[in-house]
Amino acid sequence: MVFVSECNHCMLSFPEREAVCDEIDGKTLVFCCNGCRGIYRLIHEEGLDRFYERRDWKETATGAALEIIQPDASLFDGLVRDIPPATPEDNTLLKEIDLYVGNIRCASCIWLNERILSKTDGVVYARLNYATHMARIRWNPEKTCIGTIVNRIASIGYIPRPYTESARYKAQRAEARDLLVRFGTAAFLSSNLMIYSIALYAGYFQGFDTKIKLFLEFISLLLTIPVLFYSGMPFIKSTLSGLTSLNFTMDSLITVGSGSAFIYSIYSLFTGGEVYFDTSAMIITLILLGRYIEAVAKGKASMTIEMLSELIPKEARRVIPGEQSGDSSESEMVPVTSVKKGDFLLVRPGERIPLDGMVISGESEVDESFITGESKPVFKSGGREVIGGSMNMFGSVVFEVKHTDKETMLSKIIESVIEAQATKPRIQNMADRVVAFFVPAIIVISLLTVFLYLFNGASLNSALMTGVSVLVIACPCSLGLSTPLAVMICSGIASSKGILLKNGEVIENIVRLGGVVFDKTGTITTGKPMLKKTVLLDSSICADELLKVAASLEKYSEHSAGYAISEAAKGIDKYEVAGFKAVPGRGVEGDLGGVRVYVGNREYMLQNGISVDEEPGSSIVSSEAEGHTALYAGWGDRLRGIFLVADTVREEAVAAVSMIQQMGLKTVLISGDTITTTQAIAVAVGITDVIGGALPTKKRELIAALQKESGWVMMVGDGINDAPALTEAYVGIGMGRGTEIAMESADAILVRNNLEAVPFLIGLCRMTFRIIKQNIFWAFFYNIAAIPLAISGVLHPIVAAGAMSVSSLFVVFNSLRIRRCGRLIS
Amino acid sequence: MWTTYFLIFLTLVLGIGAYLLFVWSVRKNQYDDVEGPKYRMLDDDDDTQTKEVK
Repeated sequence: MVFVSECNHCMLSFPEREAVCDEIDGKTLVFCCNGCRGIYRLIHEEGLDRFYERRDWKETATGAALEIIQPDASLFDGLVRDIPPATPEDNTLLKEIDLYVGNIRCASCIWLNERILSKTDGVVYARLNYATHMARIRWNPEKTCIGTIVNRIASIGYIPRPYTESARYKAQRAEARDLLVRFGTAAFLSSNLMIYSIALYAGYFQGFDTKIKLFLEFISLLLTIPVLFYSGMPFIKSTLSGLTSLNFTMDSLITVGSGSAFIYSIYSLFTGGEVYFDTSAMIITLILLGRYIEAVAKGKASMTIEMLSELIPKEARRVIPGEQSGDSSESEMVPVTSVKKGDFLLVRPGERIPLDGMVISGESEVDESFITGESKPVFKSGGREVIGGSMNMFGSVVFEVKHTDKETMLSKIIESVIEAQATKPRIQNMADRVVAFFVPAIIVISLLTVFLYLFNGASLNSALMTGVSVLVIACPCSLGLSTPLAVMICSGIASSKGILLKNGEVIENIVRLGGVVFDKTGTITTGKPMLKKTVLLDSSICADELLKVAASLEKYSEHSAGYAISEAAKGIDKYEVAGFKAVPGRGVEGDLGGVRVYVGNREYMLQNGISVDEEPGSSIVSSEAEGHTALYAGWGDRLRGIFLVADTVREEAVAAVSMIQQMGLKTVLISGDTITTTQAIAVAVGITDVIGGALPTKKRELIAALQKESGWVMMVGDGINDAPALTEAYVGIGMGRGTEIAMESADAILVRNNLEAVPFLIGLCRMTFRIIKQNIFWAFFYNIAAIPLAISGVLHPIVAAGAMSVSSLFVVFNSLRIRRCGRLIS
Repeated sequence: MWTTYFLIFLTLVLGIGAYLLFVWSVRKNQYDDVEGPKYRMLDDDDDTQTKEVK
């Protein structure tokens, strides 16, 4: 029986024997790791315990032991601005920075950050934006420095990140702001217009002085002009440009509806009929509201993606020529773009390799899973090739640059993504497709009305005006709200579940899917090796003892397989180790109580005189084939045991896959790994269709072939190698811990890397799409129902206003239903 | 009669005033963080409040 406690800081449940206990103010508290303890202490010492009462977390924080990453202050230096003194008497010069704070989860995190920062000596202003998590900090450079500030943020477990607004995001924000002003203008004018319109309606029923009526109508005209020609300008422009190709979009429907109402009203103003200025203005106002909602949601999503993306190195350490021998070589930081072929670059442990090249000196293990999809780290020594973008795990390496710029593997993949984007068919959304038929249809009906009146002997004027009134009533203004409103509510629910929707189209696309393709490494599996099995070969010791010995050594190693062993032995006391030595790519050794112990691969054992002949061959070999890495442990000339380490399937993968299958979708597993390894994982999660050995560029072709054969598919992936496939697939879903490029190419991001979000998202989108269809139906319904009134010539502005409000209210309340259904699905 | 005209004139003036206020607030980035104020108003511990910088 394992006793489980809950961490007092991060609320993570963990086995009791691993607890870190601490006594604070006479109370004994338990923590899952020292990081959490440190943060609790810090928060407590600053008198900010209220954080724990205030916070509103529904689930645990990280799911793994917290690491406090010391930020590199030099990254922030370039972003610091000088603030001139506010008053001439006060001549302290202040500094200011805008930076992004990662890991923020709720309002209390903001509160805590602001308090911790403002308690820092020298900080005069600290404010975080709740929506974007951007911090603006101002400080006195004589009292503190940027390094202290970023360390302060990092010390409570948040991640400060340098942030410069990208051109694209800037453009998106400018667009949202432009829409806000246009919408605000339209909304102000329309609401004023409504007041006069109500007076006009009242006058119609009660009788009215013609002078006042004319006066009110004239003011209405004045108020409508800016709505139509300022707020509505984007619609008019796009209609005019689409006119030549007879391409009817939502914009043309709005222009036709609003414009015809305007023209009809001007005619009526002079002939004494009724005016429709309110309808004309309200159509534009409501559509702009929909557009603004869309723009805000889009901006938020792209901001989050920029923040989540792992950066591809933009700087490289160039070895100063003539001194490239050994580890102590002098190097300088240069922008990657200035590196030429034949330059020597130094890469330190934990850094990304900036460009493609060949290793000259040094040894290390490199994680190339982003590029190749191969889960095991690859050993690199002199003469071996390295790929730009891969992660250097440990050991410094100097390599000669072989490819730069467009020739690198990375650039080729990006090119493939762009190609896939260009060829991807853009599917019109539901509302646009309806509009494409609806616009020509109402124009025909209106023309028929004109002919009917002329045929019956009406005057040209009255015939034309009746025709225009058909156009006026036919334009459903709540149509512009029908999709954005539902999309907004759907995205809101999705984001509370850790799913980020990049656009609204993804909702409709998900509904049409026939299958889901999963990438293996990092998506179905965690991408981190775990100890799977221990084979004991020495009957004089027990398995735990063997693990303890190996873990004592591997504690010092940064090898990924070694990490798996230390993880497995977490909480077990380790032996003292003397004379530790690590041989990259082979193994580690050290003295434990006077005995020299070796842990490493097969060659390492042989090299150190340990015979591996008596190993139980078959089971190990077959395990190797299944993607396990075997780690041998031996001492005193004898092999004592073998550890099998492998990438593990995510906990929730099995449930997620079976839920997707229950939804009637086909599931496929795709990987760059060998077919046997892929097959083994597929069996473990219950997927029957497997594609193994897929190269990055081939993945895209495979997806394309699959789509041809079995309908649209969704691709779920994380690596750079998945990016082209994510773009090619009808719907691409990226993992939040994935790479920049993968997230760029995806339509939706699983921020919390939780696969169960996939079936949830499918269910939610199906629901939302049903609501959207209902919205569109009812948006049209009232207006279409009123068309006969227009044809028979008895249309009154109040009918138009009524149709408008009833359908808008319907759309709003119907969209709100998504929220309730979202709760039902989860 | 003139009261009607006066009231209509008044609505326009007030409306334009409100409109200018709206344009001003957009320019001043008042709409950049629409989430924050609802939480900030609940923070009552003014002693630790950050000093506002003009």
